Amino acid sequence: MKINAKDLASAIFLLVLAALGLWLNTEHSLGSARRMGPGYMPMLVFVLEFALGLIVLGISFFSGPDPLEKWTKLDFVTLAISIAASLVAYPLLAAVPALQNNWYALGISITLGLFILAVSPGWRVLALVLAGMNIFGVLLDAGGLFLAIAAMVVVAAFADKEHRPLGVAACVVFLIALCWWVFIYELDIRVNIWPTF
Amino acid sequence: MELLFANLAHGFSVAMSFDNLLFALLGALIGTAIGVLPGIGPVATISLLLPITFGQPATTAIIMLAGIYYGAQYGGSTTAILLNLPGEVSSVVTTLEGYKMARNGRAGAALTIAAVGSFFAGSVATLLVAASGPLLTQVALSFGPADYFSLMLLGLIISAVLAQGSVVKSIAMVILGVALGLVGTDVQTGQQRFTFGVPELSDGLNFAAMAMGVFGIAEIILNLEKPEVRSVLSSKVGSLFLTREEIRRATPSVLRGTLIGSALGILPGGGASLASFGSYMMERKVSKGKHEFGNGAIEGVAGPEAANNAAAQTSFIPLLTLGIPSNAVMALMVGALIIQGIQPGPRMVESQPDLFWGLICSMWIGNLMLLVINLPLIGMWVKLLQVPYKYMYPAILTFCAIGVYSINNNVFDVYSTVFFGILGYVFNKLKMEPAPLLVGFVLGPMMEEHLRRAMLLSRGDPIVFIDRPISATLLAICALALGLMLLPGMRKKKEAAMAG
Repeated sequence: MKINAKDLASAIFLLVLAALGLWLNTEHSLGSARRMGPGYMPMLVFVLEFALGLIVLGISFFSGPDPLEKWTKLDFVTLAISIAASLVAYPLLAAVPALQNNWYALGISITLGLFILAVSPGWRVLALVLAGMNIFGVLLDAGGLFLAIAAMVVVAAFADKEHRPLGVAACVVFLIALCWWVFIYELDIRVNIWPTF
Repeated sequence: MELLFANLAHGFSVAMSFDNLLFALLGALIGTAIGVLPGIGPVATISLLLPITFGQPATTAIIMLAGIYYGAQYGGSTTAILLNLPGEVSSVVTTLEGYKMARNGRAGAALTIAAVGSFFAGSVATLLVAASGPLLTQVALSFGPADYFSLMLLGLIISAVLAQGSVVKSIAMVILGVALGLVGTDVQTGQQRFTFGVPELSDGLNFAAMAMGVFGIAEIILNLEKPEVRSVLSSKVGSLFLTREEIRRATPSVLRGTLIGSALGILPGGGASLASFGSYMMERKVSKGKHEFGNGAIEGVAGPEAANNAAAQTSFIPLLTLGIPSNAVMALMVGALIIQGIQPGPRMVESQPDLFWGLICSMWIGNLMLLVINLPLIGMWVKLLQVPYKYMYPAILTFCAIGVYSINNNVFDVYSTVFFGILGYVFNKLKMEPAPLLVGFVLGPMMEEHLRRAMLLSRGDPIVFIDRPISATLLAICALALGLMLLPGMRKKKEAAMAG
């Protein structure tokens, strides 16, 4: 067998996306070729994308073998649980009045999912780097810039086994000082510096 | 000709202002630094620094971002020669001969010829941009909507054809970029498309968030997953002066490199890395020292280094004259211009003379700065490599996070960056090249505009694209480029060129 798993996965990705796009595009009026409506260009684009997906699918049966990286059982389980956890947490959090009309529900539920994902060694780097960035988003408005930076760097530092506590602390202090100088002192961006709980 | 000099004089007066000099220097320094460091390239850096440039005047912003791009070409050669470690893709071929030269005790000579060759090539290419800019602009002003559409299509197709990896997948990535560009308010009817009721999406996906996620964040994750390769400086730099024999051998290579680099840079989809590969192939075939290739031939350093720098300059030509980005870095420049409220296109030379001529002159000044700062400071740049990646990635992450937030003061953009980070990671695992995506995203909305206008003018008749000679020619080139890639022989050649 010469199946190219990477191409096959790409093809599925493209086909699903194109189909989704075409389905979402049904709510836009197409118009005519002369007077194109808002749905005309998307229709062209997604039809083309679907066609390209089919070509990639065809090629994938001959261009291999190029297997995907092996996933362990733990990788599968954590991925499934983390997606499920995010999907369950989001509507629950969004129902809390204080979390409406802002992005806290989204940020917190994704962070939760990413932490669950980090249980598996295969996902740890991905999950922790992204979780760090998410926590920055969650903490920034209420917690202030300095706290957000500190939390992000500490969480992201766990992605690299070589980090030692002292090094991370130095990193946090240095980055807070640098960001204060660049973004607050020089560029004067509008953001809270200290917590305003 | 006189007009050209008057324009250049004006450009120098703009470029020599204190702020512009300072930011050209800053850009060149940052560029050199990231050129030296493997694991972070110009695309990631420029997207990272995009938000920082918003507060500046457009000219200053573009001058700095341009400095990063050509500075990276200089910096990449330093580590390639001294450590056999290409800091950038465009200096991969420099390792082949440059590192051998270093092993032979001629590291200093290799560094000198790389810097001097780059400076010469950069100067020639800058003049070329200055001379061809207004000319091409004249041509572009006669373009109708149909011609524009075809030109953009050509830009998309060539950027996909010349990208690494499978052509079909790259074209799919371009279209995916166009699809992502659809999100937001439809300009003509005001209808919201693919926004899912999210008010933040009504202006479209955030360009900086996308670039940072797909390039910056995804790169961090991928770098951390690989074990870090630590390298130490093994060979001495030695004398920086070239022998008479070396000068005699390197001069024709620099000239050829400049020529081939300038040509490949203008090509849509071209750029620095393609140029250095092209030049290396050429030197191996035609130079007098070809029997020495593999053992430290100076021609193999002089040619590619001149070529990549020339290409870094001339790849601005399609952007500045036609408003068409030819590669991912240029797509970022378009993004920077649009955020500054400037629509890139043929009218830019006339309406933004400060920007156009100032940028050209600052490129030359920047090259001069690089020549001066690079050679004496080589020791410092090499020291930069001692900084372990574990201290670098938190800094990159922090700059991404604050930078993307500061664009709209909205945390939604931070989460978008996370989303695009995941997407970029998936693209890498599936060998889908992300650079064409960015080009498609930038060109998509413009293409839709021109398509609609062209079809309105032709009363819905698509024949207009073949009827107009300019458009027909451009479409023929598109077909030719795609056709060539279907031939197995050409495909192999491209793979060989990409693999070095």
